[in-house]
Amino acid sequence: MAQPLVKKDDDRDDEADCSPFLGIEKGAVLQEARVFNDPQLDPRRCSQVITKLLYLLNQGETFTKVEATEVFFAVTKLFQSKDIGLRRMVYVMIKELSPSADEVIIVTSSLMKDMTSKTDMYRANAIRVLCRITDGTLLTQIERYLKQAIVDKNPVVASAALVSGIHLLQTNPEIVKRWSNEVQEAVQSRAALVQFHALALLHQIRQNDRLAVNKLVSSLTKGSVRSPLAQCLLIRYTSQVIRESANNNQAGDRPFYDFLEGCLRHKAEMVIFEAARAITELNGVTSRELTPAITVLQLFLSSSKPVLRFAAVRTLNKVAMTHPMAVTNCNIDMESLISDQNRSIATLAITTLLKTGNESSVDRLMKQITNFMSDIADEFKIVVVEAIRSLCLKFPLKHRSLMNFLSNILREEGGFEYKKAIVDSIVILIRDIPEAKESGLLHLCEFIEDCEFTYLSTQILHFLGIEGPKTSDPSKYIRYIYNRVHLENATVRAGAVSTLAKFGAMVDTLKPRVFVLLRRCLFDNDDEVRDRATLYLNTLGGDGEVVETGEDVKEFLFGSLDIPLVNLENSLKNYEPSEEAFDINSVPKEVKTQPLAEKKAPGKKPTGLGAPPAGPPSTVDAYEKLLSSIPEFANFGKLFKSSAPVELTEAETEYAVNVVKHIFDGHVVFQYNCTNTIPEQLLENVTVIVDASEAEEFAEVASKPLRSLPYDSPGQTFVAFEKPEGVPAIGKFSNMLRFIVKEVDPSTGEAEDDGVEDEYQLEELEVVAADYMLKVGVSNFRNAWETMDADCERADEYGLGPRESLAEAVNAVINLLGMQPCEGTEVVPNNSRSHTCLLSGVYIGNVKVLVRLQFGLDGPKDVAMKLAVRSEDEAVSDAIHEIVASG
Amino acid sequence: MILAVLFANSEGNILVERFNGVPAEERLHWRSFLVKLGADNLKGVKNEELLVASHKSVYIVYTVLGDVSVYVVGKDEYDELALAEVIFVITSAVKDVCGKLPTERLFLDKYGRICLTLDEIIWKGYLENTDKDRIRRLVRLKPPTEF
Repeated sequence: MAQPLVKKDDDRDDEADCSPFLGIEKGAVLQEARVFNDPQLDPRRCSQVITKLLYLLNQGETFTKVEATEVFFAVTKLFQSKDIGLRRMVYVMIKELSPSADEVIIVTSSLMKDMTSKTDMYRANAIRVLCRITDGTLLTQIERYLKQAIVDKNPVVASAALVSGIHLLQTNPEIVKRWSNEVQEAVQSRAALVQFHALALLHQIRQNDRLAVNKLVSSLTKGSVRSPLAQCLLIRYTSQVIRESANNNQAGDRPFYDFLEGCLRHKAEMVIFEAARAITELNGVTSRELTPAITVLQLFLSSSKPVLRFAAVRTLNKVAMTHPMAVTNCNIDMESLISDQNRSIATLAITTLLKTGNESSVDRLMKQITNFMSDIADEFKIVVVEAIRSLCLKFPLKHRSLMNFLSNILREEGGFEYKKAIVDSIVILIRDIPEAKESGLLHLCEFIEDCEFTYLSTQILHFLGIEGPKTSDPSKYIRYIYNRVHLENATVRAGAVSTLAKFGAMVDTLKPRVFVLLRRCLFDNDDEVRDRATLYLNTLGGDGEVVETGEDVKEFLFGSLDIPLVNLENSLKNYEPSEEAFDINSVPKEVKTQPLAEKKAPGKKPTGLGAPPAGPPSTVDAYEKLLSSIPEFANFGKLFKSSAPVELTEAETEYAVNVVKHIFDGHVVFQYNCTNTIPEQLLENVTVIVDASEAEEFAEVASKPLRSLPYDSPGQTFVAFEKPEGVPAIGKFSNMLRFIVKEVDPSTGEAEDDGVEDEYQLEELEVVAADYMLKVGVSNFRNAWETMDADCERADEYGLGPRESLAEAVNAVINLLGMQPCEGTEVVPNNSRSHTCLLSGVYIGNVKVLVRLQFGLDGPKDVAMKLAVRSEDEAVSDAIHEIVASG
Repeated sequence: MILAVLFANSEGNILVERFNGVPAEERLHWRSFLVKLGADNLKGVKNEELLVASHKSVYIVYTVLGDVSVYVVGKDEYDELALAEVIFVITSAVKDVCGKLPTERLFLDKYGRICLTLDEIIWKGYLENTDKDRIRRLVRLKPPTEF
């Protein structure tokens, strides 16, 4: 009896080892597909071949155009078979092959026959296949059938047509939109899935019609929605309606809130969760509204299902960003999740706790996290490090334990991104918490003793050079830095030499010892290291004596380059070795304008180290430096204000020009930033001819042309005007760009000798009253207002006429005056009929100005405004009123 | 949208991969990401116990079913909870087709029917059918019983 049993087991082993698709090859399967052409079809065999084809496709295999066409034509022959199983396979196969438009014709008649068949299931499948492969023209032919199918009694047919509609809406929206009556009917279907699909389609059809969506939501929230899936959709659409609804009254009776709260008691977890999330995401949600949602989410935290725990902790994590207090009740449940098997859940729990924890719980939390850190991946660790950084900034008194934690994890294994996140955090803490500085610097020093990342080592050395000399005992860092000179690669060695030199320059008492060390670097085997050492030894001065290094030398060695590195790189590339030495002053200082999207991307997060700023250190300082370096403008005095660049050309024109208005007491300088976007042209002697006939108080006094404007390398030309001293003169200026254009040979990059003079019309430019106002905020407006002399107050009332909204009127006045809104008063709550806005600024002549604006709606759209101004000079108060009266 | 459904064997070899709206050049990346995710986390996990992860704005729910692991990837409305529903439909339908928890061999033996089953459950990234009995009938081109 034992024999057959053994045999059976053997068989099973063989079976398990050998896959039915073992050694499958595309070529062979395509050969096999010829059975589709047999006059006597064998349905079983054909199904097997289709399975093999599907297996190939599901493995990521692709067919060439010819192969796909051949298989497709062969498959269409299978419509002759009446075998139901095979027909079902044929439907799948056609969808997988997605035939091209010219091939579809072969199969449409068979499919249309199936679509009108009496067999429901043929209809459903034919609809799905046809909609997958159809184009607009065919769709109009079958539209009638599809509309019928949507309201078909068989739910499978109706669902097939509805889901097809969802897909077709992307390609043929105008046709699908005509079905809305049928879809509306299907929403009322008794079949749960039909209702779900119909609701999704109906919402997509009407999504741009706010009123229709509102109506849809109103009617469905009253009635009964059968499937939990449809109920979830309804909750989403409801929260969209709430978001867009302007009728959020302050009393707390939010429309549809009761519906959402009711869903928290639904029997399906999916619905409960969806409602809870919708409530937490309501705009300006109150704690009364939040409480029931947080309660159900808290229950989910201890669910046995990981998905529910994940969903709950993810939502609570988001809530903790805006309402940390609301989440504190869940802290105990959250703490137990730190040991959750699922690391995503554990990380979310930790970061939530870090956001909601109070100062007293920090130490306990850190202990728990320490155990947890060793078994999660780097990507999770980075999230935790960032959360700890924020926590430390929130509770600076806890810096010791948090800094210790960071230094401990810095010593453990980890990839570059993780280490960089830790180092960045330590650097930010050093910068923001003075008490953490010395210990933080020592942690960094210890880290570079054993750091495998050149980038991090050099960045830390650079940072040490800036912060180390300012500490109480700078000498203790020297050992760490000099060790790098012995033990590291050339890049780090060069960085260490520069840092040593910084210590020598900043700390006079250390200079002799630093000189000894620098002299040893003269024998380094890398020329960059030797060059740096030589340079510092020859420039720091005093030959190693205890003497002060001159400010100019410090500026020369360690000051910022003041030129965008990109521009320097471009200029160096364009420079041809010749008798004439490269002139660093010829490098444009203007940062090239980037598209907005690119500009926004970096700097989203505060980075700790990073390269020194690529552009000028701060715009005002940079402009001041730039203007004072031009002799013609040197005697204009102190720069009062520089405006933001105003575009004078449209985007993507041949020459891109914007202008910055620099306001001095008695002068105005226009700085035209020009970019030549044509590779085949070189522009020379570029000037802007300004017509100031509509600016009577201005007289042109100087113009500084731009010598050369090569392709994609921005440059500036300036025009200066004199105006009455201290007077906020206004006017309109028309501008014409004039230049000599030379053709450039694209292959050699050389310009022709002869050029042609040409002109290019630019947009007009205005100097307005707001140009004479600096945006300077005050921390406590009321105090500032009270301390200002009431005698200098001027108040008056103005009618602003019909306006789009109160908010629009408030914005218009803020822009007109160019002042800084205080205490968030620039935001006008929805539907308010009156609003007070507080502004502060410094007017030309350095006169502080405070403005109190009271707006009120007078009739349906008319806005009335009361303007009260206090300033240090009553003439300025009057001037502000004049600006408003004339604006 | 349901971006991907993927079945792999215990060694991480792909048995079925179906992508919706994922560019061809990103598919390989997704495949290796998911297989690695499974290798890191699925050891010792009970059958049909759901695991969850998120990668940027995309959610992943995955589990073990006999000898095969199943991954479902979604975004927007298909968040972790909706995907849990989708994977539940998939696993119960696959079990139904195989008659028990699938071994790799059994899964491959029923490959054609499993393809049809998936075709009934997900259509170009949208959930279409959710009931395993109905799916079993639809695969055989029979109308649902409740009709």
